Amino acid sequence: MAGVSVRNVVKRYGSVQVIHGVDVEIADGEFVILVGPSGCGKSTLLRMIAGLEAISDGEIAIGGKVVNDVAPKDRDIAMVFQNYALYPHKNVADNMGFSLKIKGRPRAEIDAKVRKAAEILDLTKLLDRFPRQLSGGQRQRVAMGRAIVRDPQVFLFDEPLSNLDAKLRVAMRVEIKELHQRLGTTIVYVTHDQIEAMTMADKIVVMRDGHVEQVGAPLDLYDNPGNVFVAGFIGSPAMNFIKGRIDARDGGQIFVSDAGAVLPVSGVNAESGRPVVYGIRPEHIDLDGDGLPATVSVLEPTGSETQIFARIGEDPIDAVVKARLKVRPGEEIRLRIDPSRVHIFDRQSSARL
Amino acid sequence: MRADRPYLTVLLWTLLSLLTLFPIYWLFVISVKPAVELFTTPSVLLDTVYWNNYVKVLNDSTLRRYMYNSIVISSGNALLVTTLAFMACYALSRFDLAGKENIFFWTITNRMAPAAVFLLPFFLLFTQVFVIGDWKLYDTKIGMILLYCTFNLPFAIWTLRPTIDAIPKELDEAATVDGASTWQVIREVIFPLARPGLAVTLILTWVFAWNEFLLAATLTSFNARTITTGLSEYVTTTGTEWGTMASIAIITLVPALIVFSVVQRQIVAGLTFGAVKE
Repeated sequence: MAGVSVRNVVKRYGSVQVIHGVDVEIADGEFVILVGPSGCGKSTLLRMIAGLEAISDGEIAIGGKVVNDVAPKDRDIAMVFQNYALYPHKNVADNMGFSLKIKGRPRAEIDAKVRKAAEILDLTKLLDRFPRQLSGGQRQRVAMGRAIVRDPQVFLFDEPLSNLDAKLRVAMRVEIKELHQRLGTTIVYVTHDQIEAMTMADKIVVMRDGHVEQVGAPLDLYDNPGNVFVAGFIGSPAMNFIKGRIDARDGGQIFVSDAGAVLPVSGVNAESGRPVVYGIRPEHIDLDGDGLPATVSVLEPTGSETQIFARIGEDPIDAVVKARLKVRPGEEIRLRIDPSRVHIFDRQSSARL
Repeated sequence: MRADRPYLTVLLWTLLSLLTLFPIYWLFVISVKPAVELFTTPSVLLDTVYWNNYVKVLNDSTLRRYMYNSIVISSGNALLVTTLAFMACYALSRFDLAGKENIFFWTITNRMAPAAVFLLPFFLLFTQVFVIGDWKLYDTKIGMILLYCTFNLPFAIWTLRPTIDAIPKELDEAATVDGASTWQVIREVIFPLARPGLAVTLILTWVFAWNEFLLAATLTSFNARTITTGLSEYVTTTGTEWGTMASIAIITLVPALIVFSVVQRQIVAGLTFGAVKE
């Protein structure tokens, strides 16, 4: 096992720079998830850690050793690819044992390690099958098995669950997390799915346009997003954002939206009149007879909760409540916003105030 | 194919099969008839079987040499061309070479002119330039193998490139991370998956060299003369030995059939299914 240090790493393709001086410290045994929208550079960063992409500037160290010029095969890493990348002409056992065969390990040792990994992943009955005879979830497990057999210092996962259906994805999420708890190996995992990031990671690195926006524990990012982007990216459904300004009223502070809605705030570190963005998560809004009047646009009941798309004045707002509502679109409900859960961001810099 | 009218399907396939097989049958009929019968009213029926044409051909050491030359030249050429094309296609497919698409197009340019255009330059090269002491490239098997390479290699590169391009790059990367060197990636991953494409390339280049006449007739005289050119020696000023020629033609089909039957087993489509999520 080993930690990974990414120090001021830059990636350029010709004159186009796609990674702009990224710094990430990954501790030994940590499960770190790189998350961000498509094109943010997360996969490129992972491929640079793997050695599949050259580094234009900066340095990457694995286990304290700088590996900028070390070939992928000598980095002691294992990688699970988005599309599995199983060798179609080899059966499951040969796929899993390929790295050991390349190393010239004896047949008995390969068999023993493959069997052990197969037991961990419940693949024992499938060892003689070929990839084309497996389901998506089984193929994904074989890809993980191939990584486990190597017993590497670091596991790299490149969007491993994005080709699976929703139900299987949830099951595999649990499996990967269990695997990490069992093996304790450092994992660097790339995904664009913030739910995967929230549920699995010890630490999340949120990326956008080749920059790191924020690094932190999942709940830390959820509770204290550093800017509008992170606030909007982490959490599902996404946070509501309303543009407006801070105002003083009755000796306290309030928020007045550009469309004129008045919303509560508490303990905001911003002077009156300052243009800001008001952020509140849907789950921090509740139904309350004394709350703000809102007009219902659409209701989405899921059984366990109801998502309400409504308008406070002209401003659209999204709320998630436990109650089952019997209102129709166009009718009025009353919503209460918990002021202690409100996030205020500077409109210009988008940083949290 | 319509399941409710099987007899129509059978009839159609029978007709198509006859269309393909009849010329070969007729060739065989001619090969087993004495010359005198061929010059009266040749029958298409197999009423008499006269094996003397075959006996004559198989006892002819010159013809045996021509046949041996053809096998060596065709097989040597096919193996060399397929190996080189495989390497070239891997490089073109996987590496960022400057101007690689231009190189790819440029390779085919020598197929854009008829082979006869190159005849005289090749003759001069083979007899005047590629000469070491008494040895010259003219009328040598290695000369013919290399010559056919210049014609077959561009064709093979164009045939094989889509096969290599279709093998997902992630497999190379997975093998690289698994610890494989470039050669190990080629041997363990790319080669087994490219086998159908390699088999097609091997057959087509083998057939080209096996059937080629013009260059072989010009650049060989005896030592490296091939069976196709040897066949023409039976068209003489005193007449054409149809029976002998037909029997040689039938004999030349045999190696081709063997090569086809061995290689066609490799041409299995859909081998890469399941490698990566489509």
